Amino acid sequence: MPHISARLTWNEEIGPGHHLMAAHAPQIAAAARPGQFLHVRVGPTHDPLLRRPFSVLRVDEASGQVWLLVKVVGRGTRLLAGMAPGAVLDVMGPLGCGFPEPPPGEEVALVAGGCGVAPLIFWADRIQTTFSHIRVVSILGAATEDVMVCWLDLAARSDEFYATTEDGSAGERGLASDALRGLLARRNFAAVYACGPRGMLKVCAELARGAGVPCFVAVEEAMACGVGACLGCVVPAAGGGYLRVCSDGPVFAAEALDWEALAT
Amino acid sequence: MRGEAGLPPVDMSVKVGPLALPSPVLVGSGTFGFGEEYAPYCDLARLGAIVTKAVTLRPREGNPGPRIWETAAGMLNAIGLQNPGLERFLAEKLPPLVAAGHVVIVNIAGHDVEEYVKLAGALDAAKGVAAIEVNVSCPNVSRGGIEFGRDPAVLGELVRAVRGATRLPLIVKLSPNVSDIVPLAAAAMEAGADALSLINTLLGMAIDARQRRPRLANVTGGLSGPAIKPVALRMVWQVWQALRPPIIGMGGIMTGEDAAEFMLAGAAAVAVGTANFVDPTSASRVAAELEDFCRGQRINHVSELTGGLQV
Repeated sequence: MPHISARLTWNEEIGPGHHLMAAHAPQIAAAARPGQFLHVRVGPTHDPLLRRPFSVLRVDEASGQVWLLVKVVGRGTRLLAGMAPGAVLDVMGPLGCGFPEPPPGEEVALVAGGCGVAPLIFWADRIQTTFSHIRVVSILGAATEDVMVCWLDLAARSDEFYATTEDGSAGERGLASDALRGLLARRNFAAVYACGPRGMLKVCAELARGAGVPCFVAVEEAMACGVGACLGCVVPAAGGGYLRVCSDGPVFAAEALDWEALAT
Repeated sequence: MRGEAGLPPVDMSVKVGPLALPSPVLVGSGTFGFGEEYAPYCDLARLGAIVTKAVTLRPREGNPGPRIWETAAGMLNAIGLQNPGLERFLAEKLPPLVAAGHVVIVNIAGHDVEEYVKLAGALDAAKGVAAIEVNVSCPNVSRGGIEFGRDPAVLGELVRAVRGATRLPLIVKLSPNVSDIVPLAAAAMEAGADALSLINTLLGMAIDARQRRPRLANVTGGLSGPAIKPVALRMVWQVWQALRPPIIGMGGIMTGEDAAEFMLAGAAAVAVGTANFVDPTSASRVAAELEDFCRGQRINHVSELTGGLQV
């Protein structure tokens, strides 16, 4: 879990307000596991004050680069997205726990909603290289075609790929969870891995539970420390109490979370 | 050795009342967990003491999320004193800190006087606790803090009771959410406190105008970070002017020079809080920068700064 300065090597707006960014960070590229995140300062001043967490989208160990997907949602992400290659980033990471090793089986389902695609690209890549006997079936949902980013990166690392948009502008009209529902009815997945909006995660967790398939979700939450000290980024745990997204997660077994409290 | 260009090293040791510390730079309670999370990033050996997250008699779950919200040069939090409780603190959290040789100050919070007394008594009997910081200023729980920190008579009664339960140095952490902090500082000192921590967070809130909803599930929360530094400096200065007590100053310290400002206003020591979230090396960096500041100012002993403001 180093704390380093990393030179920005790539910044490309790949959709409205969506930036694919890369930084030279060989230590992180070598250590990062799918599902883990980097905690990035967005500037040298005290305003905005806090770091921003981003899932690792993929790593290239040979060139020592790590890739992130940055969606502009406020001042901090706008500052970051405005940085040019050559800028130096203050980065902590890799942080948190990654996806657990797939259970025995022939194929797994990856369900991504919007920016939630980032950790699943890394996970699909790792499954194909490390668990090559497992087929990767991916679903990517987005509101519209223009914000369906990185679909090719996910499709290229999947044995089967399905796309959905809410307006039908690309792929099937509907939600990623609709596509999962259809697949679960006729396939026998060893596990479901999901990352995206809370509502989507909740439906995926319910569907997988109904089908008797283990489900793992990568949760997003605003963070302060990123290392488990401040207890600011908690989500409600099944059976009471709270879990820290930064250090108990961001990947959780679906049954570890209280979905009723989480999705409201 | 940091001794540069033949300049003599700066003596960074300080006394906060009866408490002798190797450095004036501590960490603020609640911003550093129980130390373990920051060990990979921060040179804990450079710190004067590690001040723990608030410990309560029984475990506390804390508040629902969202618990934090970033504001202009600051942040709001409403964690709600989530902690594993006294028993697990003593069994699991305290021993590694003591074994590593750290000076440990334990922050305590209770529902009533009896809980504070029990906590103080248990910590007095535990091995390796250097001091107790009494939290009478948590703004984020309905009971367990702030109601003790607003009325001088109530505060005095609490501090007297805790004083009777322990021989350890007693630090009282006061709330800034009062119209005049001086009578509360006086009441705490008269009741037997050895030192004061100034200040806890300022009560604040943030609103999502489009959704017409509060940003924090708790609605209100405590404001911290550089945004509150001027308020914190003013309160340290006021209390120092009135009473000259040993003060641990805190509120938005990001650099060694910020720390020096607090000491000039009257603080014997300082605590780095929210800065830890921004830069995990903050606490040890602030200590190093403060030492450099003293060297640059030809100050041989860091405690020469305390109360050195020229008005």
